[in-house]
Amino acid sequence: MRRLEIKTIVRALLAAALVGGSGFAQDPTAGAGVNSLFRPGATGSGADISGTWMLGGHQDVAYITASGALVDYGGIPFNEAGRLYALAWSASRQTVREEQCAGYTIPYAFYSPGNYRFWEERDPNTQRLIAIHMYFQTSEVSRTVWMDGRPHPPAWAAHTFAGFSTGEWKGNVLHITTTHLKHGYVRGNGASQSDEATVHEALIRHGDRMTYFAETIDPVWFDGPFTKTVINVRNIIDPTAWLYACEDGEEILSRDDAAIPAYQWGQHPFLREYADKNHVPLLGALGGAETTRPEFMTKLRDASAAEAAARALTVPASGVPRQSNRGANSEPDDGEIHTLAVQGSVYMLVGDGGNITVQIGDEGPFVVDTGAGKLSPKVIAAIRALSPRPIQFIVNTSLHSPHTGGNASLAAAGEDPSIQGSFFAGQAPIAATGFFADPAHRATLIAHNNVLVRMQTAKAPAEAIPPDTYLRERRRKWHNGEGIDMFYEPNASTDGDTIVHFRQSDVIATGDIFDMTRYPFIDFANGGSVKGEIDALNNILEKTVYKHDEDGGTMLVPGHGRLADEYDVGEYRAMITIIRDRIQRAINAGASLDQVKAARLTADYDTRFGATTGPWTTDMFVEAVYTSLKSPPKTQNRN
Amino acid sequence: MILVLLLLSAMTALAQGPGGRGGPPNAPRTARQAAPVDLTGYWVAVVVEDWKYRMLQANKGDYDGLPLNAAARKVADAWDPVKDPPPGEDCRNYGAVNLMRQPGRLHITWQDDQTLKLESDAGTQTRLLSFAPSQGQGGGWQGVSLATWDSVPGGRGPVTTGSLKIVTTRLRPGLLRSNGAPYSSNATLTEYFDRVDFSEGNSYLVVTTTVEDPANLTAPYLTSVHFRKQADAAGWNPTACR
Repeated sequence: MRRLEIKTIVRALLAAALVGGSGFAQDPTAGAGVNSLFRPGATGSGADISGTWMLGGHQDVAYITASGALVDYGGIPFNEAGRLYALAWSASRQTVREEQCAGYTIPYAFYSPGNYRFWEERDPNTQRLIAIHMYFQTSEVSRTVWMDGRPHPPAWAAHTFAGFSTGEWKGNVLHITTTHLKHGYVRGNGASQSDEATVHEALIRHGDRMTYFAETIDPVWFDGPFTKTVINVRNIIDPTAWLYACEDGEEILSRDDAAIPAYQWGQHPFLREYADKNHVPLLGALGGAETTRPEFMTKLRDASAAEAAARALTVPASGVPRQSNRGANSEPDDGEIHTLAVQGSVYMLVGDGGNITVQIGDEGPFVVDTGAGKLSPKVIAAIRALSPRPIQFIVNTSLHSPHTGGNASLAAAGEDPSIQGSFFAGQAPIAATGFFADPAHRATLIAHNNVLVRMQTAKAPAEAIPPDTYLRERRRKWHNGEGIDMFYEPNASTDGDTIVHFRQSDVIATGDIFDMTRYPFIDFANGGSVKGEIDALNNILEKTVYKHDEDGGTMLVPGHGRLADEYDVGEYRAMITIIRDRIQRAINAGASLDQVKAARLTADYDTRFGATTGPWTTDMFVEAVYTSLKSPPKTQNRN
Repeated sequence: MILVLLLLSAMTALAQGPGGRGGPPNAPRTARQAAPVDLTGYWVAVVVEDWKYRMLQANKGDYDGLPLNAAARKVADAWDPVKDPPPGEDCRNYGAVNLMRQPGRLHITWQDDQTLKLESDAGTQTRLLSFAPSQGQGGGWQGVSLATWDSVPGGRGPVTTGSLKIVTTRLRPGLLRSNGAPYSSNATLTEYFDRVDFSEGNSYLVVTTTVEDPANLTAPYLTSVHFRKQADAAGWNPTACR
């Protein structure tokens, strides 16, 4: 009986629903040309994108398989820095180990050939949409678009090629916003968006076709939004090819590991190849926001003027003031300490000058660097929130105050049980030696010996000076259940730099050798040099392993700025190497320091890492590179 | 509980009637009233897709991306840039099939309650997008266009949006690409106009196009272009076909 009643009600409801739906068809609105999903036979701009798709349009075919010729940037709204970056890019960059398996960013993943699969993740209890997952065959990009309203991560979180995406349906259009992207191609010829890009996307389904539209906002390398559409078509039959395996290898055996192929501005050997072959004026081929506008056609009518304008774009403009970092501030200054879980047993604390790395476990926390010291009580509280045990070891990556400023406070808050009751506990107290204060009831401060020497010379407070030092290549400990390596990196940022590798957690704290907010602080006065800096970056890269296509794996806590991985370090190393080579060529040509500064040899990177004010300006960096190349410090051996 | 919800849903559909939200029950709605999205105003082409073909004169013999058949290729191969355009054919690059790919601006208005008027300053062309079956004979560069709203009431989100679908036929033969690649009078042009409003304030018109022309193409020719919304007529510059 009950079953019959339910059947009857369901039938009645269905009938009612059909009447309601057919009302659309009966209505004169039909004369107004309205198709509805509720009408039989509607073409239906659908609102479900689940399934497999592939690039299906006929436009821009040259960019799909051949990835674009060199110096074919028409339609890309480059600013000066973005264009100069692309002009310096040599296709041989793809042979550099850290770039061989680089993934595809968003939106570039949509511009590549191959198949895509989209599927929904729903809450099993409520059936609410939690996420839309996307997998792209080419470069095996795995992407999650969160649909549950969660916020984006903080600015100091790591970036990936797929970035962090949130989405919402606006009627039949899926809107997606993506941040935390890595630096990557917008066209496979070196034309790139930076790691500061934000991408807005709209996916619009028309039956078995889907129009994809992306707007990339990149304050670093674009003058305005980079917008582009492509068409995807639904695969009716699941394609069997879903993998695109990549493993890096030794491609150019004769090349120095530290060498990065790059073209010199104004001497690009293929500058005109695409333009000449396709009868495209060079001014158009060089891109820029104006090349996207209808008015650009009129600018091409005066061929000689256009050619002169194009030539001027191939080198840094003269008389232009230096640019500074336009990216988001990934170093919070809100008076709070923010804790970010890195991986394994390791955390990153930000907010008090330089980054602080904390490893926890069954023993006392192992801390790398102590911040500027302005927020030490909050730093200590943040560490206590991670572990109830007192801090046991503190390593300083250098003598710089943003990394040692909290030494005294953090050490005083700690305790080293390995010293209590030992021979060291009976060492002369501070009153007798002037330093090595109360070794038993403090955390043990560790650093390269040159840190101790320079801090003593600078008359730093005794409590802040690391008493436990090492001299050669490596110091090591087993602590909190994992091996910890401390490697000496001579004459890099200073002559006392240490990087710390947590081996099981696979996290490396780099100190000022690697800085995601600015050019490296090459402290020439304290023994730093560009050669040592590049050597140190390469040494870091010797220890890293990516998880998949240059994403993840070994994580890097830089001296300042956001969490990073191997690819970020590789790009940073490439940048410093390229700048080193430019300045070395200028020196070889007899250029003075002022001439080198005026030449703006860092123009492609200044909008990401440059500074015109503050403690470490671009001019100071250039001067440090110039000086350390002309008068290298007496190099110390790692061993 | 589920049944109650279903019942409520059905009742809601019946109560709203075909007039939908805000309309009197059973009152006929014009295409203008039924518009799920506002496409009117000035739009400027953002020339990115197929940049070299759109911004510049395409080179002779460059048919990359065009699914031309042998007959069409033969016609295109005979194209002579010196003699282009032939007398009386000045606007053959500005027919409906290729007009939206021109670098220029659009001005979209309602000519009447059943007709959207789309003016292009490039080539000074006008397309009439009629929501009522047209009585026009066609045969002009812009052919005869039948428009419908591809509407998604509610969709999967709170905002009602939809696409403008346009099917254009009865075209005067013209060029798919400025280097002589042809389309015939039997070509059918199907377009979707979608408005996309991004959160940072930029509004775009995305135009997705399919050209079917068995006389010249081996497969449907799929392309898409986009325009950015302008606040006013800035830059509006009607030019003759060139």
